[in-house]
Amino acid sequence: MRDVPKSMAASATALTLPLQVGEKRVDDRELVRLSQNGTEAAFEELVRRHQQRVFALVGGILHRPDDVEDVAQQVFLKAYLGIKKFDQRAAFSTWLYKIAVNECWDYLRKRKVRPLVYEADLSEEQVSRLDGIVSSDRPPESASTRMETREILERMLEALPEQDRQLLVLKEIEGFSVQELAEILDLNVNTVKVRLFRARGRIMDTYRRKVNSSGKAHAASAANRKES
Amino acid sequence: MATDWSTTSAACEKYEALLEDYLNGDLSAADAKTAAEHWQNCAGCRAALQHAAASLRLLRVAGPTADPGPGFARVVMARIREKSAGGANFWQPFVSFGWRFTATATLALAVFVSYNAGWGHLLQPKVTTARPTESMDLFAPEPARVPANGDEVLMMVADNSHAKF
Repeated sequence: MRDVPKSMAASATALTLPLQVGEKRVDDRELVRLSQNGTEAAFEELVRRHQQRVFALVGGILHRPDDVEDVAQQVFLKAYLGIKKFDQRAAFSTWLYKIAVNECWDYLRKRKVRPLVYEADLSEEQVSRLDGIVSSDRPPESASTRMETREILERMLEALPEQDRQLLVLKEIEGFSVQELAEILDLNVNTVKVRLFRARGRIMDTYRRKVNSSGKAHAASAANRKES
Repeated sequence: MATDWSTTSAACEKYEALLEDYLNGDLSAADAKTAAEHWQNCAGCRAALQHAAASLRLLRVAGPTADPGPGFARVVMARIREKSAGGANFWQPFVSFGWRFTATATLALAVFVSYNAGWGHLLQPKVTTARPTESMDLFAPEPARVPANGDEVLMMVADNSHAKF
């Protein structure tokens, strides 16, 4: 990246930046340095590189798709305004994800958002489909079934305590590692492991309750039909 | 393999982190051996591990969030530019007021210093001092008068004696 002309690096509006020098991809540290010098194109590249993970993180915490984009934009805006103070002692991604987590907390605090818990019984078909997924390694085949199962899963996740839901979503759905979660959430690695393990138990308790209550409801309705 | 929901799923506190490592495939061979020995004899840990493994399968149904696409970065950059421009516009009136105030204050100071330095006397109008008239204070005591000759001395003595009696 030393080959980048100084005039280009200093230009705040330079939109074309050689992001690859030969075979080598410019690393985040260099892009941060260029952004600190006012190169917008370097910051735009950082946005492109990290937007998916920021979306995943914000989505995992807020769980409201309508608000995720707004909050994600706000995260990058704050990162841009604060990048001159970023000393690069931590990785850019860790710093950015911490901004994202703080932004989500602020958002939840201001809006006093509480997830809506929708407790509807599952159909017999849904119960057997879920049983199939949980008991074996067989994922749903059709896209519509997958979509429907995902909705049921989301309802179960929403019934969990907020911290459990966030950890499970970020770890199992969005693919953050235990180490990353510990850094982002300012927790001890072992604490993350224990909380994750307990959250797994809780979601399966929710699943069991749902399946049991649906099973009882179906048995009762079948008995009623038989009587009539 | 059907999951057994009848067993309680509370694991031993000491082994929870180890079980999580096992699920994630992060357990060393030695730790795996220790853990396996434990949950062979612990129904709680065995059930908890079974439930946790089922949660992995359940959560796998939901895929990760999709990349928002290249449009997102453009929107972010547009918002940054808008914010920067907005910030400049917000402070502009204060900045120009500041400059105007500084210029006016400097000019006023320069005029004051030059005036004090001397050329102010040239501009000062010549004012003749007016003598205060006697009618200004009718009740003020008369200033002491010095007698001009012997007769006036005698007259003053006579006046004073008359005033006493």
